[in-house]
Amino acid sequence: MIAIMSREFRTYFQTPTGYIFMGLFLLVSGFFFTLGNLISGSSYFTSFLQSVLFIYLLAIPLLTMRLLSEERRQKTDQLLLTSPITVTDIVLGKFFAAFIVFLLTLLVTVLYAIVVGIFGDLAVWQTVGGYIGFSLLGASFISVGVLISAVSENQVSAAFFTFFALLLIWFLNLVKSVAPVDPVSGTIFAAVVVVGLAAFFFANTRSWIASGAVVLVGAATIVVLHLFSPDVFNGLIAEVLDWFSLLERFDAFTLGLVKLEEVVFYLSFTSIFLFVTVRLIEKRRWA
Amino acid sequence: MIEVRNLTKRYGPHVAVDDVSFSVQKGEVVGFLGPNGAGKSTTMNILTGYLSASEGDVHIDGTNILEEPESVKRRIGYLPETPPLYGEMTVREYLRFVCSIRKVPRTEVNDRIEQGLHRVGIVEVYNRLIGNLSKGYRQRVGLAQALMGNPDILILDEPTSGLDPKQIIEIRDLIRELGADHTVILSSHILPEVSEICRRVMIINDGRIVADGDPASLGSDLFDASQIVVTAVADESAARGAVSGIQGISRIEILPATEPGTTEMLIESEHDEDLRRDIFDSFSKAGVPLIGLRVKNATLEEIFLELTSGVKEAVS
Repeated sequence: MIAIMSREFRTYFQTPTGYIFMGLFLLVSGFFFTLGNLISGSSYFTSFLQSVLFIYLLAIPLLTMRLLSEERRQKTDQLLLTSPITVTDIVLGKFFAAFIVFLLTLLVTVLYAIVVGIFGDLAVWQTVGGYIGFSLLGASFISVGVLISAVSENQVSAAFFTFFALLLIWFLNLVKSVAPVDPVSGTIFAAVVVVGLAAFFFANTRSWIASGAVVLVGAATIVVLHLFSPDVFNGLIAEVLDWFSLLERFDAFTLGLVKLEEVVFYLSFTSIFLFVTVRLIEKRRWA
Repeated sequence: MIEVRNLTKRYGPHVAVDDVSFSVQKGEVVGFLGPNGAGKSTTMNILTGYLSASEGDVHIDGTNILEEPESVKRRIGYLPETPPLYGEMTVREYLRFVCSIRKVPRTEVNDRIEQGLHRVGIVEVYNRLIGNLSKGYRQRVGLAQALMGNPDILILDEPTSGLDPKQIIEIRDLIRELGADHTVILSSHILPEVSEICRRVMIINDGRIVADGDPASLGSDLFDASQIVVTAVADESAARGAVSGIQGISRIEILPATEPGTTEMLIESEHDEDLRRDIFDSFSKAGVPLIGLRVKNATLEEIFLELTSGVKEAVS
């Protein structure tokens, strides 16, 4: 894993990718800092942290786009997959390389916090909380990018789809507020999820039996839930979307609250995406 | 050492490798020969653990590659059809990276790289970016990569493709040299190459092994003296006249002459008889100089074409 990570890390700075990522991130964050804190003379640093979040949308796809798609295009995945290392090593190495570049960039913005601290009142714990939240959120976004990079044919489509996935996560809050809450639409939503899952299984295994089994189990679960606890379907859509809403949870951090629950959420979100990436790569060998 | 049993690989309805079984002993140098798309690369990708078989299994010294991938992969060096190189790295950085994922002990890395560089002859490009190297050098860096883990098995997919004739000879010599202390499986669609380097040839067509043996015995198995090609210094009628007295000829076909002033013809005997002696005698009696006399299916090239096209006909 270390070998993969250090090679990947070096590649960021042997190709323009690392510089573009850092440049873009620091340019836009510097812009926000100058406008929001320096010119307006405000020491309210939390607003800076929240406005910076939106740079993620553009910057994270840049960071993750070539990680796995490029290996496949250059056929270097043949080297990695025939070496005595596991797919988990490969995926984790790639993830951590991107994460470290991300953290280093984030570290530069700590300078802004120090400037605010010297010339004004810095809300220290809110800022620390904000940075912890930032790192966790970054890890989650990177894991989404890694997964998309693993299924993309080339860097450009990886960047494109990662951007849209992050945009979708970004807008989940809005979608949630307009989502219908009645049990009927909750049931329809559950059915759509089951069918989607079955389609995913079929696309990956080409087995009618496995996909059929998914549909049966899903349908049975919906029926059983309807019989015994129909309340589940009230506002189901909003609840599911809520779970994916990474940004909602970020707010607590900028208040200086680091809740174990939220930390565990972000870490499990990241682990699930990385785990699915490993499975997808391993599965491809059987296709 | 390598034991392949009933290997089948399907891509949807297409069967890339069809129930292939063979075994390779320690120290053998085996060549996979077949037209493009015959299933050579797929078989190699399965042997090295890059792909999984749809059915059947591969054992290396009794160990299944799917059960203990790490220990088996350590013993195999693989040069895929496209050398797996990172253009943005220098040769030195690349080989160091390969050593680290191949789990070469730290203390041995420098020696291993040094040896590899000399062996494949890339010392002079050691500090250059791989992206700027010529095809020949890239191929050799790929070969150095396969040697880094000090494997006992080398699997080389078309190791000489894209090289110029001088480089081809160099790589062939190198492979022959490596064959002394490694088990080597290589693939090619070029016949002379395989017959020159390998002591055993497997001809693969449409995912199946259609012939397996050493190049010479493959020739003798398929040796068929019923068709003889004759070249005589004479015009067509004189040549026909010279063979008119021979008993047992079923068909004579005039072939396009390769040398001016000569006639080349194919003589088929009736009962698979070897008529070469009779042909020689009658030509000398007729006073017609005979400058060529050979059995048609004698070169590996002809056997190869016969086998690979014959199977296709049988299938369709």
